[in-house]
Amino acid sequence: MDVRAIRSLGLGLLLLNGGTAAAAGADSAPSVVTTDTPEYCQKLFDRIGQAIQTATGPTPVEVASLSTEGKRMCHDGLTRGGILRLRRALLILEQGSAAP
Amino acid sequence: MVYAGLLAISAAALAFYLWWATAGLLDRQTEAAIHADAQGLSERWTEGRLPLLVLTIRERLEQNVDDDALYLLVNSDLQPLAGNLRGWPAGVDDPGQPYELRVTRAGAQTVAQVQRYDLPDGYHLLIGRDVQARVKLRQLLADALLWGLVVVAVMALAGAFIVRSLFRRTLANVSVTAAAISSGDFSRRVRVSGRGDEFDQLAETINDMLDRIARLMEGVRQVSNAIAHDLRTPITRARARLEDAALHAATPGELHAAIERATGDLDGIVAVFQALLRISEIEAGSRRAAFTSLDVGAVLADVAELYDPLAEEKGLRLTLDAPSIPPIHGDPEMLRQAVTNLTDNAIKFSPPGGEVRLSAVAVPSGVEIAVADQGPGIPPEDRSRATERFFRGEAARSTPGSGLGLALVQAVALLHGGTLRLEDADPGLRATLSLPGNE
Repeated sequence: MDVRAIRSLGLGLLLLNGGTAAAAGADSAPSVVTTDTPEYCQKLFDRIGQAIQTATGPTPVEVASLSTEGKRMCHDGLTRGGILRLRRALLILEQGSAAP
Repeated sequence: MVYAGLLAISAAALAFYLWWATAGLLDRQTEAAIHADAQGLSERWTEGRLPLLVLTIRERLEQNVDDDALYLLVNSDLQPLAGNLRGWPAGVDDPGQPYELRVTRAGAQTVAQVQRYDLPDGYHLLIGRDVQARVKLRQLLADALLWGLVVVAVMALAGAFIVRSLFRRTLANVSVTAAAISSGDFSRRVRVSGRGDEFDQLAETINDMLDRIARLMEGVRQVSNAIAHDLRTPITRARARLEDAALHAATPGELHAAIERATGDLDGIVAVFQALLRISEIEAGSRRAAFTSLDVGAVLADVAELYDPLAEEKGLRLTLDAPSIPPIHGDPEMLRQAVTNLTDNAIKFSPPGGEVRLSAVAVPSGVEIAVADQGPGIPPEDRSRATERFFRGEAARSTPGSGLGLALVQAVALLHGGTLRLEDADPGLRATLSLPGNE
């Protein structure tokens, strides 16, 4: 019994267990996610800039480094990694503004 | 095969449980997250209708540090209003039904689990989670479990094969021995491997059983020979007497006397058979139904009274020493028969002027009844065989008897769970019947 056969059996078990979720659009093209793009990366960077401007207190150092690093990664083609850092920066800003 | 099957089924059940408890849990967590998300967005819709819902979706996407959230809000024409999917996926038609959706993220294809929710005014909302990592984890888990199952199945088969070979070898060993014995070779025994395991214990037990059967068969053969030998003489004698009387009796009186003598011989034969039947009956244990509380002292007194005249006639002194003995549980008639046989032997073999002592004493384990004489006794080498049927020692060859007396006493002792011990009384023989006490 080779690895491929084992994998097939594994997928069989997978389908057996995941039988409650129906497969959608099996024949059509996959749906495209729009939040993994350089455009979204720029959008997030702009949002951080707006949030910094509206913030009352000083900008945390972490936010600056995360946003800089995120933008650089997006620019280097590491879009998802860059977006992740920008999201973290934005989350820190949001939490800072929400804090009393 | 049954063993292998049971092991494989058990392993499969365990694998299924592990699968359910891990991969199933991940699926349930995903569904719970989607439902919680949907509930939150539904509240937003209620609070601020479309604008607030669009804003909330945007915020949630901006703060989605796990990078796994999928949203799509469309109008009745399926035009996207908010979210991170380019268009409404084909096939996602039933609200509340989870769908597995192929999505492209940064050029790479992954798998997501999504669910559709219909809002008022013809709006539709799609909420989902990227489950690619979980799918990979599930695949890894499935592979591990299936490999595990394969290993268990192989080991179960190998184990079953080894165990079966072991059993087959042992059974073949026993079977060959049984076949040899059934074809007449009673000297064959089951081979013992010397490993000292359970199979060796079984082989030794079977061999012990065969040894015992062989001894019993030898005993039966000896008894058969003894019966043929001991009965041939009186039957031949009776036949000769009757033939002689038929040919030579001159008067009816002589003929009558010859018939009486032959009848006496035949009565002796009948007595032997009765004794044999009684021993068999005792050994079969059927007499246990007649067990009752019996007074050993009274039994000994009866026997002493019965044999006192005979002892006196032979010039012997018969003494009885049986102080207060606690009652025991047994068959009074059988015990009387046993003590009678011992006393009869003692009187038969004692020289004139001797003494025959009947005694009973209470011991911790029960009661010991002893009959001692001052006769020639039984040589030590013959004592172990003295209780065999028809055994007669050298000293007893010239004395009338069938050789069944001590065999019957031994049978009575065993019937009562006791023993018969033959010892040197210096001079003479002391036969001690040890019987357990009243329980």
